Amino acid sequence: MNKKRIYPQWFLVIPLIAYVVFFLIPSLLGAFYSFTDWSAYSANTGVKFVGLQNYIDIFTSNKDYVSGIKNTLMFTVVSNVIKLIPALFLAILLQEGVRGKGIYRTLFYLPAILPFVIIGLVFKSILNYNTGLLNVGLEALQLGFLKQKWLSDLSYVWKSIYGVDAWRGIGYVMTIFLAGLNTIPQSYYEAAQIDGAGFWSRLRHITLPMLSGAIMINFVFGITYGLKVFDIIYVLTNGGPGHATEVITTYSYQLYSNGQYGMSTALNTILLLITLVIGVFVVRFMGKKEVQQ
Amino acid sequence: MFKKIAALILCVGMSTVLFMGCGKSGDVSTDSKDTGGDTASQGTEATQAPDTGSTDFAGQELSILVSAGWMDNRYDATIARFEEEYGVTVDLQTIPADQYSDILQSKLSTDTLTDIFWIQSDPFAIESQIVNPEKYCLDFTGAEWTGVIPPARLASCSYNGKLYGLQLWHNSPEYVMLYNKTLFDENGWTVPTKYTELKDLCGKIAAAGITPWFIPGADGWQHQLAFFQIGGVYEEATPGLYDGLNKNTATFADNAKMLEVLEQFKELSTLGYFGEDWIGTDSTNMANDFGDRNIAMAMANSSYIKQIKEETGTSDEFGLFLLPLGDNSYFPTNPGGPTMFGNASTKHPDLVKAFFSFVTTTESLQEILDNSPQYTNMDVIDANIKQHWLPEEEAFMATIPEEKLQIGVLQTATKYTNKYWMNFGADMVSFCLGEISANDVLKNMDANRAEAAKAAGDSDWGN
Repeated sequence: MNKKRIYPQWFLVIPLIAYVVFFLIPSLLGAFYSFTDWSAYSANTGVKFVGLQNYIDIFTSNKDYVSGIKNTLMFTVVSNVIKLIPALFLAILLQEGVRGKGIYRTLFYLPAILPFVIIGLVFKSILNYNTGLLNVGLEALQLGFLKQKWLSDLSYVWKSIYGVDAWRGIGYVMTIFLAGLNTIPQSYYEAAQIDGAGFWSRLRHITLPMLSGAIMINFVFGITYGLKVFDIIYVLTNGGPGHATEVITTYSYQLYSNGQYGMSTALNTILLLITLVIGVFVVRFMGKKEVQQ
Repeated sequence: MFKKIAALILCVGMSTVLFMGCGKSGDVSTDSKDTGGDTASQGTEATQAPDTGSTDFAGQELSILVSAGWMDNRYDATIARFEEEYGVTVDLQTIPADQYSDILQSKLSTDTLTDIFWIQSDPFAIESQIVNPEKYCLDFTGAEWTGVIPPARLASCSYNGKLYGLQLWHNSPEYVMLYNKTLFDENGWTVPTKYTELKDLCGKIAAAGITPWFIPGADGWQHQLAFFQIGGVYEEATPGLYDGLNKNTATFADNAKMLEVLEQFKELSTLGYFGEDWIGTDSTNMANDFGDRNIAMAMANSSYIKQIKEETGTSDEFGLFLLPLGDNSYFPTNPGGPTMFGNASTKHPDLVKAFFSFVTTTESLQEILDNSPQYTNMDVIDANIKQHWLPEEEAFMATIPEEKLQIGVLQTATKYTNKYWMNFGADMVSFCLGEISANDVLKNMDANRAEAAKAAGDSDWGN
């Protein structure tokens, strides 16, 4: 059995060392520092152990870090839903004979390769209340009543962020779905059609079960992206208006910038714990699925 | 067997590639150190003998990290002359104002700072922002340009008796109310001196379809000025407040006058007097909006009048009056301002010193002033500088009694306050949106200051 393996097991040594040195040790150090008062002043005063004080401050502070944690979780759920479902249908559409589907695939994927800074600049301009393309366009179409303060109204700011995030991310998710769809034998669909199965029946009984691997990959990528979201928020709203769109990472960044490294690492450790819990859950779920298959 | 050999070769190859990366950085570091060493010796000669120094720095690059608005185009000509004279290139890294503080602190803590960096300095800023100037800043004590800085500004450039910074800033009235005088005269509007008068006036201006008081909230740093620039009213309402805030015997929270000012600010915001979307609007078009009469008033520096006229060609006249929030009658001065520092870890310390010396010559100072549409004067000690004071500035200053000028602005006259400028601004927006109360805004400032004091081991905060 072992002889059939192409690569020996010790090939794992290098990635394992890299993983331990560049990820595991920094993560553990971060967790350690979250129990200290490490700050920009520590060069003069030294680092002292403060127990759970940073965590107590996070959950009792007037600054409402808890809303940042809630916002992070909400973003993770909503951004996944609004990307996964449209991306699945787009993938199905582009898999079946649409004319010029290669061009569409490229066009949908293109936003994924744009840097966040460019996306931020472009969309801040488009969504500007007074001079933005969106509001000006709505007015030109006599739809001025639909004008909104897209990035400064509490009712719309999250919707705007989700919209921009979906615009950027749908193509990427769709590409993974397309790869999954390519692995489903066409004969299954032909047989189902002969049996009189419609689109929804084929979707439910053939596409979705056969696509579970791609769905799971997108789901895992989406969760990890959502939990550590920073760039899209930073470039569009910088956590505002006020603190309405703060997430764990923006708070962590602010604390770090203010030289409160201990508090910053405590917030990151909370993020690590949340990721760990969800990660374990997803891995177990995937394990069960594999056993069933 | 062949597979094992292939695997071994591949593995060794991968390891080599991986460690070559690390090794390379070491080499670069060594090279750089060597270069730095050479530069240091060359630079010393350059400082001692500027004429020969021109060639000694040839080919080097001087990097500068600065926030938007602090250097802009006004240094371009001077930098170009510096580059030409010394045969060097200057890499100017201008960061958007709302991100500058975060980026600077990240670079400070990760030791990836440019040769020269700027901070918004004040008498407490070096300690609270740079934290350890001996580690991070070049010591300029005894530099020939020390005498150029007015004594009032030296406190923002020095720490523990050592000179670290160079502050070249103007002494115009800062962030007072600038208004379109012609528009006011045509409509019979009068300048308000009390909050109630301001509110009534805003109502009349809004009724005329003009934004009464333009506030660019999206900049993130401007709207707080309405609260902090009137420090005198807080001190008058609570005598000894500044001292109490610095000794931790007073707080922002529960201060009646501060609460009153915040409530007034929110009232004007709710009434739409700052513009339809002041929170999402930045200052990019402010001068044009003044020129087009879309806005009637804004907080600005007096020299902004010159900028409006130059950029828009308007024939309207402009004037200045004191911020009337809290019925303010004070004009606190600000000894602080954007200040340039040299990075102690720079590989070109003498090139940095040469740059500081270069920009403080009379020729450079005059050039910087002349190339600054926002400046009308340069607050430096140099009798040969030709200042460009505006008649509006002189008229405004003449209306303020001397005793109303003696107090400093709240943000720089109290410890650890200016450091949380952006946080306070975000809290003010949250308050205007109804997410938190006015006292929460003040409590957050107290909490932030306490955290900074704790980190600094300030004994007045029980640390």
